[in-house]
Amino acid sequence: MQKHHFLLRRLHSLTGIVPVGVFLIMHLTTNSTIAWGGLNSRAHGDGWIDRSIATFQHEVEFINNMPLLLLIEITLWASIGFHSILGVVYAMSGRPNNADYKYGGNARYTLQRLTGYFGIFFIFYHVATLRWGWDWLPGAAKWSHEHAASTLAHALQGSTEQFTTTGLFVSIFYFIGVSALVFHFANGLWTAAITWGLTISRKAQQRWGFACAGLGAVLMIMAWVSVVGFATLDYEQARGVEEAMKLDSLPIDSGSHTETAAVEQTDIDG
Amino acid sequence: MSDAESHAFDADMRRANRKKAVEGRSVIFKIKRCDGPGKPSRWESFKVPVEQGGNVISSLKWIAANPITTEGTKTTPVVWDSGCLEEVCGACTMVINGRVRQSCSCLIDEYAPLEGDAITLEPMSKFPVIRDLWVDRARLFHNLTRVKAWVPIDGTYNMGAGPKETPEHQQMRYALSECMSCGCCLDACPQFTKVEDEEKWDTSFIGAHAISQARLFNEHGTGKLLKGDRYEELAGAGGVSDCGNAQNCVKVCPKGIPLTESIGAVGRGTTVHAIKQFFQGKE
Repeated sequence: MQKHHFLLRRLHSLTGIVPVGVFLIMHLTTNSTIAWGGLNSRAHGDGWIDRSIATFQHEVEFINNMPLLLLIEITLWASIGFHSILGVVYAMSGRPNNADYKYGGNARYTLQRLTGYFGIFFIFYHVATLRWGWDWLPGAAKWSHEHAASTLAHALQGSTEQFTTTGLFVSIFYFIGVSALVFHFANGLWTAAITWGLTISRKAQQRWGFACAGLGAVLMIMAWVSVVGFATLDYEQARGVEEAMKLDSLPIDSGSHTETAAVEQTDIDG
Repeated sequence: MSDAESHAFDADMRRANRKKAVEGRSVIFKIKRCDGPGKPSRWESFKVPVEQGGNVISSLKWIAANPITTEGTKTTPVVWDSGCLEEVCGACTMVINGRVRQSCSCLIDEYAPLEGDAITLEPMSKFPVIRDLWVDRARLFHNLTRVKAWVPIDGTYNMGAGPKETPEHQQMRYALSECMSCGCCLDACPQFTKVEDEEKWDTSFIGAHAISQARLFNEHGTGKLLKGDRYEELAGAGGVSDCGNAQNCVKVCPKGIPLTESIGAVGRGTTVHAIKQFFQGKE
């Protein structure tokens, strides 16, 4: 640790931005399509929410069809793991003193560490339930990339029928979790500029602070509309849009072209 | 937290307190006491009459002459350290109402304007206590040697006059040169923690004062000869990258030294130094 101290510190800072921070931006952009994905609904001639569900499903499929997806995932996992483990080690080396020194910077110092701890916990729960399907965890519901929006609605609402108490806890947990991670990223981006020596003067640090706060605010809104969007989404409606899309995407040369078209027709009529 | 503890926070409040200060009042000093290294600490209170323009040191002198607690028991005089009594030596630094500062420049009118208001005095929290309010700040000076915070002029021959200096550069360095090594930046820093074991000093966080002094001497015409050595040390364990950017240091610095700018500048220096080392370094 001591020999490569500087390298580890800088890598810790770097991994927080690339790839983890960049991934966070992409992830929130994709998720928030549940709120703004209906922007082109008029062109498609369907409702705002239907189009949002379809856009989200489309984005998820695009990601699932990316080349070298496994490599991308391994890189992300390694980076998050590295950043988390070193982050905890570094965070443990400090002794917060916010009671005596009530400065904004000091509060952000402590918040950065608390959001880090909470973020690790949240990411673990998030992935373990939705991805790995660890259904023994409270409020767990496995996510399926074929039914991207509906299974998420199920997870955040606690059931496929109505919004349950479990759903309320999961939704609040997600709300706090994403907020913590967005703060952690935006504030980390601000401190990284000092660490690397990009911002030196007080004015430069202030200017970059406004830029980071702006980015953080945008990401925060994206994170919040994502959570609210899925927590209030109608399960049956989402399921319907996803099923229709599945039929749409059946291969044309499967030998049952006419049949498929017929089924599709009935589905839309129904 | 008493009323007296909650103010004395920002400068405006202190100014307002000075205006409403009552003449001929007595204030309570709550002092954290300790008889020697490793001994347990205890709290003792003293009621002290405030003279005009009185400060913490003048009050401590009064207590030394009248070492009787508010309970009426006779005790030993409180020990403290001080030197210049004009806020330029840093020796009398202590924690007053939970916040670190020099006690000589701490006016009672600003901290305890009314009869019976309390002021708490504690020794600095990051250094070993020698006795009462007196601490051993050896680590602070040790850390200055870690970054070779000096100009290498000792030699066997005359090195001649140094390079020319612009007024702007001189102004920048002057601000950094005002550091009196008091340790306020260290006591308020959440990342600079108390380290009893001297063996671990060299790998523990060095602190804002030493980072800023490294910058000062890196900017000196002759002092920059040791730039590489300083960056080597500051890139290592306990160096500048251990800074957590809470930025308390710049807020509590009694000399208003731009410590966070120094941290940014030294951060840049170590980044550039490390890249250079990576591509052309020998080891």
